[in-house]
Amino acid sequence: MRRAAALALVLATALLIRGAASGEPLRTAALALGFALIAAALVGDLFERLKLPRVSGYLLLGLLCGPNLANIISRSMARELQVVNGLAIALIALMAGLEINFMRLRPRLAAMARLGGITLMTLYAGLFVVFWATWRWLPIAPHETGLARLAIATLVTIIVASFSPTVTIAVITDTRSRGPLSELTLAVVVLGDLALILSFTVAMQFVHWALGGVGPTQVGVVPRVAWEVVGSLGFGAAVGAVFALYLRYIGRELTLVMLGLCVVLSAVGPRLDFEPLLAALAAGLVVENVTGGGGKALTEAVEQGARPVLIVFFAAAGASLHLDALAVIGVVAVAVAALRLALILGGTALGVRHSGIDPEQGRLVWMGLISQAGVTLGLTIIVAAEYPTWGTNIETLLVALIALHELIGPVLFKWALARSGEIGQMDAVAAVAPGAAPADTPA
Amino acid sequence: MKKSGPGFREAGGADPIDAALGDRQASPGIGRLDLLLRTRLALGLEATAAPTLVFLPLGVVCGPYGLNLLSSAVLAHLDAVVSVALAALGVFVGLALDLRSREDRRLFLAADVESGVTVVIVAAAVLFLLHSWQAPIDAPASAIALALGIAAAASSGGGADAPAGSFQQLATHIAELDDVMPIVAGGFVIVALGGAPLAETVRLAGLTVVVGLLIAVAGWLLFERAHDPAERGVFVLGALLLLGGAAAYLSLSPLLTGLVAGLFWRWSPGRADQIIRNDLQKIQHPLVLLLLLTAGASLEWSRLAIWLIAPFVLFRVTGKLMGAKLATQLAAPLAAADLGAYLLPPGVIGIAFALNVQQVASPVTGAAIVTAVAVGSLVCELLALIEPPGRAEGR
Repeated sequence: MRRAAALALVLATALLIRGAASGEPLRTAALALGFALIAAALVGDLFERLKLPRVSGYLLLGLLCGPNLANIISRSMARELQVVNGLAIALIALMAGLEINFMRLRPRLAAMARLGGITLMTLYAGLFVVFWATWRWLPIAPHETGLARLAIATLVTIIVASFSPTVTIAVITDTRSRGPLSELTLAVVVLGDLALILSFTVAMQFVHWALGGVGPTQVGVVPRVAWEVVGSLGFGAAVGAVFALYLRYIGRELTLVMLGLCVVLSAVGPRLDFEPLLAALAAGLVVENVTGGGGKALTEAVEQGARPVLIVFFAAAGASLHLDALAVIGVVAVAVAALRLALILGGTALGVRHSGIDPEQGRLVWMGLISQAGVTLGLTIIVAAEYPTWGTNIETLLVALIALHELIGPVLFKWALARSGEIGQMDAVAAVAPGAAPADTPA
Repeated sequence: MKKSGPGFREAGGADPIDAALGDRQASPGIGRLDLLLRTRLALGLEATAAPTLVFLPLGVVCGPYGLNLLSSAVLAHLDAVVSVALAALGVFVGLALDLRSREDRRLFLAADVESGVTVVIVAAAVLFLLHSWQAPIDAPASAIALALGIAAAASSGGGADAPAGSFQQLATHIAELDDVMPIVAGGFVIVALGGAPLAETVRLAGLTVVVGLLIAVAGWLLFERAHDPAERGVFVLGALLLLGGAAAYLSLSPLLTGLVAGLFWRWSPGRADQIIRNDLQKIQHPLVLLLLLTAGASLEWSRLAIWLIAPFVLFRVTGKLMGAKLATQLAAPLAAADLGAYLLPPGVIGIAFALNVQQVASPVTGAAIVTAVAVGSLVCELLALIEPPGRAEGR
């Protein structure tokens, strides 16, 4: 009751302030952040009581209060909220890295890689065949034929197949889940992200060549991909090593230093063409696997620092969801979403059968692969910027798909985690061995 | 504001992390160097004896006219953070205001008289000088004069581990309480600087109070019922962002929204005041550091700014000494000269208010006021070092 009253008060205050302003003031950032933080936290809590993921609550609050509906968060405020995007993606990837312990996963690493590989190949092959066969009815570039059609269809396939590491990790963290399903899903989305970066770079070069244009840079594909992937991992590993030394020899103000580290990864990395997500993942892996993790102090720092960043990140994502795109391209988007879901389901089933993963553990993993979010959107923006004619059509389709998948994906994944009994296990492990590295999870 | 730790003058009192780390064991010879080399100090997480003396010049060095680390673009990005920091300072001041006992009310009255006298003397002098000089200004002279008077009125006492009821404790308490009246008056001046007519100024100042109260009530409903420390942190951070953000959005005073919220939490039933104090103290030093660095980086040496520095310092000292004399009539055990020495260090509230003025005033006037107040505060801090309270007591 108190929470409902507080939410009503915060909403009333925001409406009062918006109503009292003449025009659209310039200084909106702090108000947008404060409103999103409190209101989304309260809606997220309500969702948790309803056995739904908090992340969905944050998204829904952003969507309802965003510029497309109630307009409490105006378009300029929604833009201001995205100031945390880079930080949030780096933080989420760092948390993912901290959750991947190679010693613990070693017995299952090969099987996980096989499952991920088969799932991805099924997705790529299935989507490409359907897109190629139905090309003239797809609202992308129906007039293109031959090599150009092949290149664009490949690019669309790769982007549509992408997963969302951010949503997957956010749901795992938010539900404090740990266990075989969490680890398996995490491994597959990380593998998918790596494959996405590699294949997207290659596909873009293919499109440049097929359309007869000059590539964005004269640098060859292989050095460019190598720089992006190896460079990102190396940069992240170096930053992770510095953080590990800090943890070991100083170890103070961990929340502040960890957030600063994520700012470095998200702000400096892109200037050197590094992928922040990969770099932050590598940093987390180094801390967890080389130095044995940061123990309870780091866990608490992550908990303190991550919560507000995640809330604002997903509220901002909700406020930026384009329901109008869904209305424009709704039928096609729903059809593509259904096809993708079917292929993920089929691909994981095939993967489980041929990878040696325990079927009991693998049968729910598809539910963690449905979400799509920031990474996918970022790639479509790149395509739309370089090819405004058909690139914007891809953007419209993907924005509609993201709107669908962002609303459905977290709900499905939380349901899967609940079914597998992994929710809350992160705290259970910490309670058994406070301050120690996480205990082994049965394979 | 409760302050502790010898020589620490920080809004909000001692950082609990400082307490956890215990006393510094610096060797006498390299004590200062040791302080500078410590990570916590470098991160701005540890109090210094007078942070203005360290971080304001550092801001100048890092600013657009120095290394340009704090470039104009970075300062523009920091604007939102500055608003939140101002709101946090207001909350600290509100939390410290306890008027339950007769003695508290007497000291509060003495502090109001002292700060009121300083405001009147500095504002009147500056107004007279602005008219005499025919200074090039693009805002109402009365608003500029009042802004400088208000920035001059705040004080920051030192040495808080004094025995209860001692001279030192009473003087420090007056120095703490004299921030309240300037913040309230500042709420009106910030609105007036936007050029609004009187009725609109009163309405907007009232809106500042209403917004602060609404957010305070929302926070009060949430803080005690948070499921875990991380969620409580989200609510506290959200409330602060709303307090600072609402004021910034409407070009109001975040110090006043913060003060109103702090007062509400202080006087409302429950533990909201303890919760917010505990959580805010973790970010207290970084906020003070941020404000001082921003103020240092925002300095611009215009003719108007240079003209205003000397009167600001001179009439601030005069106002504080005269105010102290009047305040001693209300707080009997104090001697005027001694109290004046305690009130001389300006602390960060005045600089914070000047930064708020810069946010709403025209660029020329805003820069001149920040420069005059920041440099004037630096000079006053140096004067306070030359004439520390202890020496006055000894005489």
